[in-house]
Amino acid sequence: MATILEVRKVKKSYRMGRILVPALRGVSFDGEQGEFLTIFGPSGSGKSTLLHLMGCLDRPDDGEILIDAVDVLKLSDENLAELRLTKIGFVFQFFNLLPRLTALRNVELPLTIAGVSEKETLERAKEMLTLVGLEARMNHRPSELSGGEQQRVAIARALINNPKIVLADEPTGNLDTKTGWEIVQLMKRLNEEKNQTFVVVTHDPQIAETAHRIIHLKDGLVEGIKEAPRRSKQ
Amino acid sequence: MKLNKILAMGWENMRQRKLRTSLTTLGVIIGITAIIGLASLGEGFKLEVRERMQQGFELDNLTVIPGTLFAGLSRERFTDYDAQNISKIAGVKVATQVMQMGNVTLHNNRNNKTVRAFVATAVNFTEFAQVFPDRFIFENGRLPEPGRNDTIVIGYKVNNPTENDTTPFAVANDTITLTLGVFKLRDYNFTVAGTLQKTGTPGITNFDYWIFIPLETARKIYNTSESDLIFVKVYNPEESERIADDIEGLFPPFKVTILVPLTFIRQVDGVLTIVQLFLMAVASISLLVAGIGIMNIMTVSVMERTREIGILKAIGAKSRTVLAMFLAEALLIGVMGGSIGLITGYGLSFGLAYVLSSFMQLQHQRNIGFQSPELPQRMAINPAFSPEWTIVAFIFAIIVCIIFGLYPARKAAKLNPVEALRYE
Repeated sequence: MATILEVRKVKKSYRMGRILVPALRGVSFDGEQGEFLTIFGPSGSGKSTLLHLMGCLDRPDDGEILIDAVDVLKLSDENLAELRLTKIGFVFQFFNLLPRLTALRNVELPLTIAGVSEKETLERAKEMLTLVGLEARMNHRPSELSGGEQQRVAIARALINNPKIVLADEPTGNLDTKTGWEIVQLMKRLNEEKNQTFVVVTHDPQIAETAHRIIHLKDGLVEGIKEAPRRSKQ
Repeated sequence: MKLNKILAMGWENMRQRKLRTSLTTLGVIIGITAIIGLASLGEGFKLEVRERMQQGFELDNLTVIPGTLFAGLSRERFTDYDAQNISKIAGVKVATQVMQMGNVTLHNNRNNKTVRAFVATAVNFTEFAQVFPDRFIFENGRLPEPGRNDTIVIGYKVNNPTENDTTPFAVANDTITLTLGVFKLRDYNFTVAGTLQKTGTPGITNFDYWIFIPLETARKIYNTSESDLIFVKVYNPEESERIADDIEGLFPPFKVTILVPLTFIRQVDGVLTIVQLFLMAVASISLLVAGIGIMNIMTVSVMERTREIGILKAIGAKSRTVLAMFLAEALLIGVMGGSIGLITGYGLSFGLAYVLSSFMQLQHQRNIGFQSPELPQRMAINPAFSPEWTIVAFIFAIIVCIIFGLYPARKAAKLNPVEALRYE
């Protein structure tokens, strides 16, 4: 299987007033096409920072990140935006839908930004919403949807541009256990159907266990990488 | 991202915040209203003044006066030679000499009436009628035949000294005894060739108070071959300034002064344009205030939408897309405010014109007792729709909106996506 994501000795610090706080202190791992990875660790372990770096929202201080064999550090801000648009899908803990737009419009957004024709955008957005089981609630605004439904919209939005990598930052963190579990199942299903690489950040061990591989993060370092038993079966 | 989508999104965002959008737009509307209102009113005023001046100053007539106004009018006068030279200049239709004598008394031997005239002008009737075809119009009788030296033409007010008197002082073929001046009291008999229609006061000469006698006769009376003034008629008023230069070139420096109506009008026009621009500059301040309002409200809006901007960037919106989104809102405010402002601006100018016109009418009525018999027609200001100012004002509105929208839009575009996503 092709390696789609390479993280090499990545370091990142944040400045909190006068103090420089290290968030990542040399993290390395990689992800293959179609793999379902979880990054597991306590809060403050650098999970979200790592996810932001992989999602090209931020640049590492040191180290390399290759997405689909492209070194993101060498890209301009403009090209990073392009990369986010075409190769990466984001799912957030707080859904992060635009409140004034309907579910359909929210899902359409990446294609609208990409300048895809109106007809194709609409078709694909409907298709994606059907895929996540929300074909009946397309014209509702986020405030009229439940948390689980909003997260499904967010997943549809993340997948509409057919990204190589889907990054999810605590996607169940704001949902009750049952709904959260449904979301995880949905992501697992989409992962299998679409053969995209999923990287899910979580602090829930049960969710972490569903992955092909679990990357344990602690204090900005990879503590260990655990292969899930299911992966060996594949 | 496609431009129409960016605009559609901007429009959607503005629709969601109706009160805020309308208040921001109102600022632009007021600014453009003020600018357009004053511009079209000023334009109308300018046109009215220009038209009146064109009626007054016969644009195709130049007046050549000996000497210069500042060095003192010289006693030197013109000769037939000067007039001939002037008529040879390209573009000159007629150049005619004139002598003027003040303090004139006329006595009609038929009815024994006596009237006074402001000025007796000695002219070559044929040439003079060519120079002033619009004013040398006969109410009674006709233009004297060339070669006769005892004819007289009488202006309307001389012939009708009081409005109430229905019988005029003289009619054609009456015999008039003329008394010229105080010192050279000599009597001359003339036959009335005709009397003139009322012409009012166009420009600086009023034929109503004048009488006209043949130039050759006046020269004989005063034993001279010279004249006081030369009136020049040109074919094309636009050439009048060039012709004036040519005339000046015929004489030694500072020997003649030439009154060019076009120059007068140009200068008055220039002054009015400056006044108009000044008014518009004052009005533009209100548009700048509106611009600051836009900047203010958009800065707040960017802060409120920080998270949204973070989301857009996370999904892959480029910085310039975000910039364009916010500029689109500023642009839409400019277009809306500008369009509405144009309409209300023209409305305002009509309102102001109405108020000003009625005010002037009031003034007119109050002054009537003091006015000279020659009342100018009442001034009516009609706002003039000027396509140039309309386009300029509209573009100005959009430019102001975009310039003031640029700061908040850039602020939005520069937001760090990670921080923007964390923003609560």
